[in-house]
Formats: sequence, C-alpha cells, structure tokens
Amino acid sequence: MNPVRDKTSETSADSPASRVSNGVNEPGRLHPISVAVREMADIFGRMGFGVAYGPELEDDWHNFTALNVPEDHPARDMQDTFWIKDRPGSVLRTHATSVTMRALEEMAKTGAVEKRMINPGKVFRNEATDMTHEAQFYQLDGFAVGPTGSVTLAHLKGTFDRFYREYFGPNTKVRFRPSFFGFTEPSVEIDVWFEAPGKEGRWLETAGAGMLHPNVLRNAGLDPEKVQGFAFGGGLERLLMVKYGIPDVRLFHSGDIRFTYAFDEKKV
Amino acid sequence: MKVSLTWLQKYFDTPLPGADAIADAFTFHAFEIEEMKGDLMDVKVLPNRAADCLSHRGIAKELSAILDVPLKHDPLRDPLSAFPQADALTVEIEDPKKCSRYMGALVKGVSVGPSPAWLREALEAVGQRSINNVVDATNYVMLDIGQPLHAFDAAKLVQKDGEYKIGVRSAKEGEKITTLSGEEYALTPGIQLITDAHADTSIALAGVKGGKAAELTSSTTDIIVESANFDGTTTRRAAQALRLFTDASLRFQNRPSPELAAYGMRDVLALIHDLAGGEVTGVVDAYPARPQAVPVAVSHAHVDGLLGSSFTIADIEEVFRRLGLDTSIENDVFAVTPPFERTDLVIPEDLIEEVGRITGYEKILATELPPLAAAPDQARYRGIERVKDFLTERGFTEISTQSFAKRGDVVLANPLDKGMPALRTSLDDNMQTALVQARLYAPLVLAPGQKPKLFEIGTVFAKDGEKLAVKTSEPVADMPSIEDANDYAPVRYELGAYKPFSLYPFIVRDIAMWIPKEISENEFRASFDTLVMNSFSNLSCTINFLDRFEKEGRVSYAFRLVFQSRERTLTDDEVNAVMDRVSAALRAAGYEVR
Repeated sequence: MNPVRDKTSETSADSPASRVSNGVNEPGRLHPISVAVREMADIFGRMGFGVAYGPELEDDWHNFTALNVPEDHPARDMQDTFWIKDRPGSVLRTHATSVTMRALEEMAKTGAVEKRMINPGKVFRNEATDMTHEAQFYQLDGFAVGPTGSVTLAHLKGTFDRFYREYFGPNTKVRFRPSFFGFTEPSVEIDVWFEAPGKEGRWLETAGAGMLHPNVLRNAGLDPEKVQGFAFGGGLERLLMVKYGIPDVRLFHSGDIRFTYAFDEKKV
Repeated sequence: MKVSLTWLQKYFDTPLPGADAIADAFTFHAFEIEEMKGDLMDVKVLPNRAADCLSHRGIAKELSAILDVPLKHDPLRDPLSAFPQADALTVEIEDPKKCSRYMGALVKGVSVGPSPAWLREALEAVGQRSINNVVDATNYVMLDIGQPLHAFDAAKLVQKDGEYKIGVRSAKEGEKITTLSGEEYALTPGIQLITDAHADTSIALAGVKGGKAAELTSSTTDIIVESANFDGTTTRRAAQALRLFTDASLRFQNRPSPELAAYGMRDVLALIHDLAGGEVTGVVDAYPARPQAVPVAVSHAHVDGLLGSSFTIADIEEVFRRLGLDTSIENDVFAVTPPFERTDLVIPEDLIEEVGRITGYEKILATELPPLAAAPDQARYRGIERVKDFLTERGFTEISTQSFAKRGDVVLANPLDKGMPALRTSLDDNMQTALVQARLYAPLVLAPGQKPKLFEIGTVFAKDGEKLAVKTSEPVADMPSIEDANDYAPVRYELGAYKPFSLYPFIVRDIAMWIPKEISENEFRASFDTLVMNSFSNLSCTINFLDRFEKEGRVSYAFRLVFQSRERTLTDDEVNAVMDRVSAALRAAGYEVR
C-alpha cells in the first residue's frame, strides 16, 4: 500500500510501505468477506465442521415450513421476505438455515447420525437499507448434530467460546440470552464481549442459536429420539464491521475496489 | 409491550429492585428490554410468549419467577365465580373457528364520565390516552391481564322482544364500516365483523377496532361489554389488509387462551361498577369448544441431556414451582400441567427451555465438542477458494455486487427498488460498472501504471435455475473451473483496521527533479515526503514513487502525487498552488525541478 499523508485524519499514523511501479502487476486482493470466511472455515474446520452451500432462491419448505415456521405463524412477520413473481412458494432465502435443512435431509437419506457444517452465504431481507441494514448480506449459519445427548447447549457454548476467542482474540467472552426461533428449542442469542483496539470492551449481539426443534429433525426425516443438535446463524458483515471498524454495511457489496483496498493486508 | 414500573409494583408486596436490576433480570432470563426511561419499561416480548406476556400480569409473573419473589395476588389464579345469566342478550357466531368464544354482558344504568386520576395516570404512564371511565376500564384491564375488551352503547342496537342480539360474521363483498376514529374502511369477505344481529349492521371490526355506530357518549346509560377470543390468523390478516394495527389485533394475533376472556370480563365488570356504577343484568357466554389442559412430561435425563447441564431433581422442581406450573414427579419424570395462559408449553423441550432460562444460561458451562473420526468435508469451499487464489495471484481483485438487476428471468413479486426488480442472469453488467469505477479510482489504490483487473464469483439466476458464476474483467489463460478440492489449502490473510476513504474526486500531479548524486535515495525520499507534507493543509496526499535514474552525475527522481479532500471537491487552482509551493521548496533547497 502506498503512503497516504493525511493531515485531516488520524489514519495516516500507520507507516505503510512505499510503492514502486515496475510495470509488473502486483497480486490482486480478496474481498474482506472471503478473507473472513477462510478464517472461519479454518477455525470451525478444526472443530470438525465442513462447509455447505445451498440455493439462494429457495422454496417455502426449506426456508420456512420445514424449519417449523408455519404459514400463519406470527413469527413470519419478523422476516420480511422477497417473494418471486408468478412462482408461488418461491422465495429468496431469508437465512442460510435453509442450507442446514437440506444438509439434515441429506443425513436422513444417507443414514448419518453425526454431522457438523457451517453454511456461509448470501441471504435477503426486504427491508429499507441504511448504514447498518442491507437487503442482501451474508450469514454464517451452521449446525452440529449427533446421537442423543452427545451434542448439547453446553457444546454450543463451547463451540462459540472457542470460535470467538480464535476470531476476535483471547479476551473474548460468550454469553447466552433467551430468545425465540421456530426452528430451535431452547433458543438463545449469543453475545460476545469484544474489545476493539483502543476502545472499551462491550457486549455485541452476534448470532441466534439453539437446540434444533424436534419438528425440524422430524421434517428432515431424522428421528428426534435418536439424534439431537444445535444450530446457529448470524450476520457476517456485522462481525467484520466490529472487527475492523467498518462504518457502513453498504460498502461490502458496492463493487467498489476502494473498499477492498481499505485494509492493510498481510499473508498468514 | 410498554410496562409501567408503578403498575408492576401493584403485583408485589416487597419493593421492586432498581431499574437496572429489573432490566438485567429480564434480559438474561426472559426478554430484551428495548428502553428503560423513568417509570416506563419497553419490553420486547418474544413471539412465543406474546399470548400471555403482553400484559402487566404476564410481565409481573415472569419477574416473580426470575427473582423468586411471590406475587401479591394473581388475577388469573383467583377463582372465577359464576356470572348471572343474561336474559336480554344473545350471541350468534357464524364460524367458531374464527371466534372461539364470545362473552357479552348487559350493564344498565352506568354514568359515562371522566376517569379518576389514578386511572388516567396509569394509562398515560404507558402512552395511552384517557377517553372516559368505561372505555378506560376496558383498556386498563387489557393492559393489566392481556384480554382485549370493548363496550357498545346498547341503546344504538335494535331490541326485539326485549332482547339484544350480537352477531359475529364474515364481512360481505362491498360492505363498509366506519370505525371509532371516523375512518371508513372497505371490507372484503374473511374479515370478521361484530354486528347488531337484529339489524344486521356492523358495530365493530372483530378483534381490531370498534365501530362508530355503537360508540359510547356522555349520555350512554346501558352498555354491552364484549370479552371474546378471535382467531389469530384471521385477525392478523384483517389488520394487515386494512393496515389497522391495534392493541387488540396485536394480542389476538398471538393467540391468547380463550379461557382468559372470562377473567377479562370479571375484572372489567368490577372496574366499570366501581367507576361508572350500573348493574350487570346478565352475561352470555358462547364457548362452543373449550380447550383441555394437556400435561407435558419431561425426564430429568432429557433436561441434562439437551442442556449439557447437571441439575438435580430439586433444581428443576424449583424452576417449575417459581413459574407456578402444576408439577408432579414420578421416578425421574416431571409431569407438568401448564396453566391455561401458557399456550407455549407443549413439548418437553419447551419445559427444558424454562429450566435453562430461569436458572440462567450462565449456569451452562462451555464444553468443547469431542473430535470427529472423519475429516470435515470442505471440498466445494476449497475448490471455490482455489479459483479465487488463482485469480488474485494474477493481479485480479475480488469485488462483491448486488444480486438485483434491471432485467432478468426471475422477477421479484415485491422488489425493494422498483428499478431493480429482477435477479441477475450474469455478473457482466455489474462487472462493467465496477470496472469503469475501478479505472477511475486506480490512482488511489494501485501503483502507477498498474491497470485494475477485477473478478467476482457469485450466484446468477437463469430460467433453468441458479448457478455459481465466475466473471473476470479480462480473459485469463488457463482459468481453472470450480471443482471439489478438499486437499487445497486456501491462502490466509490478516487484515488491518479499516481505513476510511474519501468519497470526493481526487487530482493527480506528476513531478520530477534533479538531485545531486551525493544525497542518498533514502535521505532524499524522506525529505521529499516532509517537503510535500509542509505544502498543504486540510487534505490528503498519496505519494507514489515513479522512477529514479542517473545521468551526468545527477539523479532524477519522479513522483506521482494524488490529492484528495475528505470534506469537499478539490479545485485545480488549489492543487496548482500546492504544486507551486512544492516546486518552490525544492528550488529553495537547491534542486532543479524538471
């Protein structure tokens, strides 16, 4: 990165390397979301999680019904959904939990009783955009399922405890608060204690989670008497905004290379 | 749910703890607190608890369980005594699925007038407006125990053989109603109406809002009081269709128990009697199908096996006691019969959640998952990342753009931006736009002479389905396709803190100069930096080194300076002045500017 001498901002304090033009292209840059997903896939990978993908254009079953959000449930009011013209029952997925649903169905098909996956992906909400809201953003969703009694709410806490310590740093703490989601029972909000460099620490609401509702397991074709597990999901941009001090969520998907280059990058 | 702490205190003998302690109690054991301001607490009641907790009683009961402080009295546990039978009021329900219970009371001889100060203050404390004693009584009881209520002026209804008749039926095509606030609504079938059945005219939008036709006035003496239960979905759809969301519709759409209607009727009749006098001549209760209480069983092992906890039987029993749940224990199994208002307690996991949250999730100890035998499947992810690494190695920079497009094969039924109603069929258009921008911004982020090259990997939506597309801003030789690659290790990067960029245009100037050979490159470049920095204020400048060559005992240096302001658009004159100062400073130092 070239030296930016800026008399109006504190950001000039860093001492970047000089830039030399030698006519040869320098390497390009990864988008910060790719950088983050790689870090997350690595941390979760060491805890036994694979990476799963699914369609962004979903059906009502995988996005809502199978996830225990029946058609007339008031909980549906909580998600403002994009529906598709002339295709009843077709929606832009409102969460990447639809990918979890598909993975659970796959487990039932193959007879697996144990699986851990994260699902990073774009999701859509029909809501007005501002500095902290976008109609399209990324979520890191995921689940861990195992034989009854083997994957518990305490494991959910342990998994996130480790994830945040590795992602945000050793001073991180995790806490749960009660919540409600149709597809989990019990349901919790996961807060993380994060100390941004030079700032006072604070609790941040980062993800919703809980133990998979027996109806969801049943809808997938699994036997809730035999398997259980946890599921979780939260916005990716939000984590990055906190970690790197990004002020506006709309920068992420603007296609603007000034955003991609707004970070000093170091190969690990 | 707006809760008044003074109102809440009525439920407790012991003084409540301070606002912070109450907020913490709710936050970690029940609901988020949206706002705490003086006497007012705004509680974000979770959807599964909106059946019983959109009420001061419900909130008080939660607090009682969390803090383990008994309620002074619980209106829902006070036994009901029978109401006098109505002989001058009947009810006809067209579809019991849409109205599971309708209680009506005929009260004669009331005096409608202003409410006493305590009632006005209680309502105003939670942002409601006092109307008159009878209407205020109905609102107070709703906010107190959660049952929506309504009062009609009986004199405005038709009497036949000395009898009033209330109807509950679907609106007819083209039917209209004027509500209490004077607005007229055109109705569609499905929306439920309360009617004066003898005249077949509407007097209220069922579960939503009262009608003008039977409004109370200061001269009203006889009233019909309604305490009913309307179907959640029907009410929600009506409120949505009419864009009329009321305290009543909010409660009905969350399906309170029809049992609650009797408690609402009891409390509101007592309060009306206190405030407005009159005599209850009788109550009619149309209640075709009373729900039965269904016990829920959960074992000790199930509780610990789901939470990963090690609670004792006594710990669990204690939670159910604090919540006032009727519990019997046999062997290791708890049989819980939920009280009628706890419509959310249906399966064992519902009870396990109660144990977890009331005990406190801080009691659940973080435990790492045991390792798995098989390596995790990250093949597709690694395959995608391999392509990204291939491209960044070749100078391509990754961008991310919006999935919405002007045109496409898949069109949204409800687009946010009417100009972008479709899903993108390719990444081409966004790449084109991004590249034009990137060329413009290149001097800010790329070394001089380096041309911006971009790529995006994203989902596109064609007629025959969606797929993951790879788009580059120019052709790439030997581009690999995305294939599973579980053994590929994606390159990892660490990013520094975000550095905000200016949104204003920048101006580029090149400058070259001759320097004596004796001055070392490092020395000169450091002094050049300082010299440039001292030539301006209130803007930023990126200094790019272009080249250096020696000739006839002198060294030529060339730099590219990129100027930008964070506050405004710079003018050429401004930048020319800066460049003049830079040249002057160079000359003053004895260098020749080329």
